[in-house]
Amino acid sequence: MEAAKCPNLALQTAQFVLSEYRVESQMTIDDLSALVDDRPDEGIFRIHRAIFDDEQVFEAEMRAIFEGGWVFLGLSSQAPAPHDFFTTDVGRVPVIVTRDGDGQLAAFINSCPHKGSRLAQTMTGNARLFVCPYHSWSFDSAGRNRNIKWKKAGCYSAAFDRDGHDLARLPAFADYRGFLFGSLTAEVPDIAEYLGEAAKLLDLVADQSADGMELVPGGVSFTFDANWKLQLENCSDAYHFTSAHPSYIRILERRKEAPDTATTRSVWENNANWAEDAQGVQGGSFSFPHGHVLNWGVMGVSDALPLFESADDLARRHGEARRDWMFNMRNLTIFPNLQIAENASSQLRVIRPLSAGRTEMRTWCIAPKGESAAARRQRIRQYEDFFNPSGMATPDDTVSYENCQRGFASRVDPWLQGYGRGMGASSPAGNVFSDSIAMQPERSVTADAQLCDETLYHSYYREWRRRMTGAAQ
Amino acid sequence: MTPAEAEQLLYREALALDRRDWDGWLALYAEDCVFWMPAWRDETTPTQDPDSELSLIYYHGRRNLEERVWRIRSGQSVASTPLPRTVHAVTNVLVERTEGDRAFLSASFTVHRHDRRAEKDHVFFGRYEVETVRQGENWRIAMKKILLLNDVIPTVIDIYAI
Repeated sequence: MEAAKCPNLALQTAQFVLSEYRVESQMTIDDLSALVDDRPDEGIFRIHRAIFDDEQVFEAEMRAIFEGGWVFLGLSSQAPAPHDFFTTDVGRVPVIVTRDGDGQLAAFINSCPHKGSRLAQTMTGNARLFVCPYHSWSFDSAGRNRNIKWKKAGCYSAAFDRDGHDLARLPAFADYRGFLFGSLTAEVPDIAEYLGEAAKLLDLVADQSADGMELVPGGVSFTFDANWKLQLENCSDAYHFTSAHPSYIRILERRKEAPDTATTRSVWENNANWAEDAQGVQGGSFSFPHGHVLNWGVMGVSDALPLFESADDLARRHGEARRDWMFNMRNLTIFPNLQIAENASSQLRVIRPLSAGRTEMRTWCIAPKGESAAARRQRIRQYEDFFNPSGMATPDDTVSYENCQRGFASRVDPWLQGYGRGMGASSPAGNVFSDSIAMQPERSVTADAQLCDETLYHSYYREWRRRMTGAAQ
Repeated sequence: MTPAEAEQLLYREALALDRRDWDGWLALYAEDCVFWMPAWRDETTPTQDPDSELSLIYYHGRRNLEERVWRIRSGQSVASTPLPRTVHAVTNVLVERTEGDRAFLSASFTVHRHDRRAEKDHVFFGRYEVETVRQGENWRIAMKKILLLNDVIPTVIDIYAI
């Protein structure tokens, strides 16, 4: 009806549909699937460079992965009191997580149903009422519409009144032990099924204090001009450490040779993890369904870790095996956007892809609530040293991502060779180390100092392909 | 400390960094100096207690700055090899107060960075709060707080770009 009255509009719509079709027709599901060359029987796993630098792939990733399934939103401790809120993004969509007056957390699209304006514009806050700054529609902390300005005088139709005016709720929202997840589609498995056995690795984080975990005040954001999956891989990459971070390693050695009170002790000072000639099992990797992976290293219950003050208490409450695992180096990825790195210190990272060649990282120091002031200070100093974009390690990673991104332009030799280490060492199911905390991964690798498994990336790309080819979650 | 002396000290530091005169830069700092760049709690409030809140950089002791210089010189940090080109512009220098051998300064800064390798330009900007101490004939930096205002960091920020 409307279009008939306005032929130009009809024409524009047709063109829009046509252009959409053209975009989709250029990159088919078969094309996407072909970017992952996974032939386990032949010992082949390769990734095509286009997976990292093609804008159509990126658009499809946003729809199928970030806006089409579970993503990490934040910690419940970011909104501790009634009417507290924090904001984040799910894919490209602004989201608000609020705690209502009864203490219930919920997640909403941070967009006024009236004209689409963002409602909450700050990272965090406390608001009984969100008043849209554009036309003053207002909503309470449970997302209910409380006022439409000059409603009676507005001469709305009856159809308008039949419509709901509350904030749009995220179709799926879950709180796993204070880790909050949301999805823009309801077609997701239960969060327990999605996390699977990897949830036990979140437990190792959550259980470090009886009161749970918190983010140390002060978040650090940085960008890099490279694809988000480079961050996904780097967290799990044992192979790069001695190559990308020799300056950091040498500085730790210099501190150990001449200790003083001015410099920060390192968790690695008594550890063979980065020593190339270390003997025996030094760690390994675990992979889980849905693309979650852990890269880990033996650390020992050392007083160089701020957690040491709780070592006995943690053993009493959780048993020695779990306590020892809390002290191990652990780099955990919960696909697709959460990483918790407990190595030089403890970092929670949220990956926010901006385009095929650009990514924003939102990072925090995550810490057990109630630790002593001295432990907290030590944790913060260790964190700044290693993790910050102003520190002595992360810039050597992110500059390398950007070098990779430049190299991905090549289609002369499109297949990357970075997925082969550990092909002969990966076994189905777990091992003695996962057994010790009753965890059952899908695959595991036990590694010496130089094995540096790359098969754990296979989990990322198998889940990636499953999701990109439209598999039901 | 006279306004001219304050300007000379801050300009000298800026020039040392831009010229890559690392030893000259380190010599401007007292041995037990504090070198501090806070992070931000939110849109409007920088972190204030480095022991309980995160900073971008917090060092107590010149040895830490020596380590940073060692890393830059080492050739073992890909982020630092080759170094981007920088120029500091330090303005609005004010001696806020003087107490005996100590003076408290504030100033504004911009640092223009050209990274030829990455083919990128960026400008970092913010304010300095500096405590100086007279040691013999010279004023040295006892505490430097760098309040970086544009704190979403493009890839890397180091001591030469703030």
